[in-house]
Amino acid sequence: MSLKRYNKMAYDDFEDMVFGHSIYPVKTGFDLEIGAGYTSAEVNYAPRPTAGESKEKLIVEYQKITTDVLQRMVQVGFPSVVLETEHVQQMTVNPSWGAEIAHEQKTIMEEFYDEYGIKCALRHTPADIRGGKESLDLRGDSYGLLLESFEEVASNGADMLSIESLGGKSVFDSSIIRNDLSGVLFSIGILGTLDVEFIWEDISKIAKKHDVVAAGDTDCSQANTAMFIAGGLLDRKLAHTLAVVARAVSAPRSLAAYEAGAVGPGKDCGYENTIIKAISGVPISQEGKGSTCAHSDVMGNLAMQCCDLWSNESVEYRGEFGGTSVQCWGETLSYDCSMMNTAIEAGYAKVFRDVFMVSDRYRDPQAFILAFDNAYRIGESIVKDGNDIYLRAKNAAIEACNIVDEGSRGQLELSRFEKASLAKAIKSLHSLTDEKDVFIEENLNKLSTMESFRPENYGY
Amino acid sequence: MIDINPQRILTRYNVKVEKEMTPEEVAEKLFPVEKNIREVAKAVFEGDEDEVVESIQNAINNGLDPLNLINNALMVGMEIVSTLYDDGVLYLPDVIISAQAMIEGIEYCKERSGQEHEYKGKIVSYVVEGDIHDIGKKIVTVLLRAKGYEVVDLGKDVCVEEVIAAVKRENPIMLTGTSLMTTTMIGFQDVNSRLLESDINVPVVCGGGAVTQDFVSQYELGLYCEEASDVPKIADAIINGLNIGQLRKEFHKH
Repeated sequence: MSLKRYNKMAYDDFEDMVFGHSIYPVKTGFDLEIGAGYTSAEVNYAPRPTAGESKEKLIVEYQKITTDVLQRMVQVGFPSVVLETEHVQQMTVNPSWGAEIAHEQKTIMEEFYDEYGIKCALRHTPADIRGGKESLDLRGDSYGLLLESFEEVASNGADMLSIESLGGKSVFDSSIIRNDLSGVLFSIGILGTLDVEFIWEDISKIAKKHDVVAAGDTDCSQANTAMFIAGGLLDRKLAHTLAVVARAVSAPRSLAAYEAGAVGPGKDCGYENTIIKAISGVPISQEGKGSTCAHSDVMGNLAMQCCDLWSNESVEYRGEFGGTSVQCWGETLSYDCSMMNTAIEAGYAKVFRDVFMVSDRYRDPQAFILAFDNAYRIGESIVKDGNDIYLRAKNAAIEACNIVDEGSRGQLELSRFEKASLAKAIKSLHSLTDEKDVFIEENLNKLSTMESFRPENYGY
Repeated sequence: MIDINPQRILTRYNVKVEKEMTPEEVAEKLFPVEKNIREVAKAVFEGDEDEVVESIQNAINNGLDPLNLINNALMVGMEIVSTLYDDGVLYLPDVIISAQAMIEGIEYCKERSGQEHEYKGKIVSYVVEGDIHDIGKKIVTVLLRAKGYEVVDLGKDVCVEEVIAAVKRENPIMLTGTSLMTTTMIGFQDVNSRLLESDINVPVVCGGGAVTQDFVSQYELGLYCEEASDVPKIADAIINGLNIGQLRKEFHKH
């Protein structure tokens, strides 16, 4: 399959972007349409530690989770829901485990659909098992096993396929903790993009074969790592202005999945998804204030601005005062969706969108660049050089820095440290070559002594 | 676009509490006075590996003992970096870069002296079996080395057998393990049981994505750690004789 590069924006104007609507909605599962005028909760969960001891225990765990979520949805009167099963490693390494769990979950969902007519769909996200003990092995034996897992879940009940792919991670990890911006750009913009293209060409084929949805990827392993290390306002692990660069570069990286055949909804933890929606028009899942059970971020409301699915990221299955954890978080998400859907019905969607966005717009530079107007600007900088995976990544990084710089002259308050860090980043990015081949060669030479880096993972 | 005054809906506390002085200005007041020592400490602070080696060469040429330079110059520079990090003046990458420069310097000093440097203590670190997310372990390892500990890094996706064998072989003062996922963190339980079976009472410091204080507290040797920067403090506390119960009282925050 040839790659379909994006050279123009799907939306003519950022003002046209809003939650619950996408240019290319996706029909899936039982009567569900994503991005077609309403939002749905996407409930995520992790099995309890002891459930991983055997296949039987895991199957029972996921049966309980699925039943709990759907029961709560009908008890409170929510019309739609998506369940996302992010595989624990055993489920991907043993493809038949993932298959059986998908089958069991889908059977339960079908029962609820038949009885109550609740619109629902199942996303499965196999674990990226290509991470070897010493180094990543992206195209070796484990890749074959990973594709087998996709085949198995696709043919046994999963409606949507996703992954959080790992390409570039080892280089990213060592770069980000050393403030090495060139390394960040290389690991996400080049290595990440190459791996996303490679893997999504195959996942898209599998989805087509089984008539399911090739949904999308997320740069969880890199941009979210930067976001988590950066932490809250008072954490001093990483300049938030540096996390901004990682996030901006993650957009062209995750976009590559759609260039290789994915159609959305993009995966929840891809905070870069608003940029991707602006470029591609695909529906997106997002997480924010409903994912505080998994991690803290600095844009809990803003993340809702253009979402089509609204997720909780992940919560360990356990009891809470109000029911099981998946019931509590599923209900919270669904009430948010109910509010958004009411706004759509009443004609107030853009007002709500703006309130969500503005409430976090100035909270942090990471939120500022993802406000839909700024996300759109980053998108424009990407499609300007859409055919060159290096230039578009570099453009995104520079545009994000420019946005923060301009913002700091207005309502966005930056600390002196953040300003200094931003100035360094801008200087460093402008010192980089404009030639993709030169940039790649420089970085390959730099990494020649890094034992855990294997160029063959990326076709070099 | 809605026009609001953000200061009425949020507070950028990082801007509000930022220190008046720059890190360089604070450090300048802390560098040692003696010229040779000062140059080495300053090079560590700046994280310049070449400068570290060059300043050590100069110090040795001026008659200073290479092994003494480890504790009296390199570690002094690193201590300034750590202090400024603890005080909220420096960021983690600054510590990592300085630590790397200091480690280079230690190796050079050892090479020049032909003798071994005595570390504060030995620590074994690993990522649990089935988990390849190791950035947390990498950070912990550097922070421990920066504080003068010898770290035996077993890497990621390490099976229980390998962990137990390493503890028996290396006799560390503590073990650090990280895990991202709920289904892999169960590996801490096996390590705890196997250590107890062998009558080894070394604290197992656990952290990472899905790991919680409640989970770790179930295991006799378990000590939960939320912040990587706490790990060297735990090591110091162990050196000072704190037992598991006392360590939990000190470092369990919830």
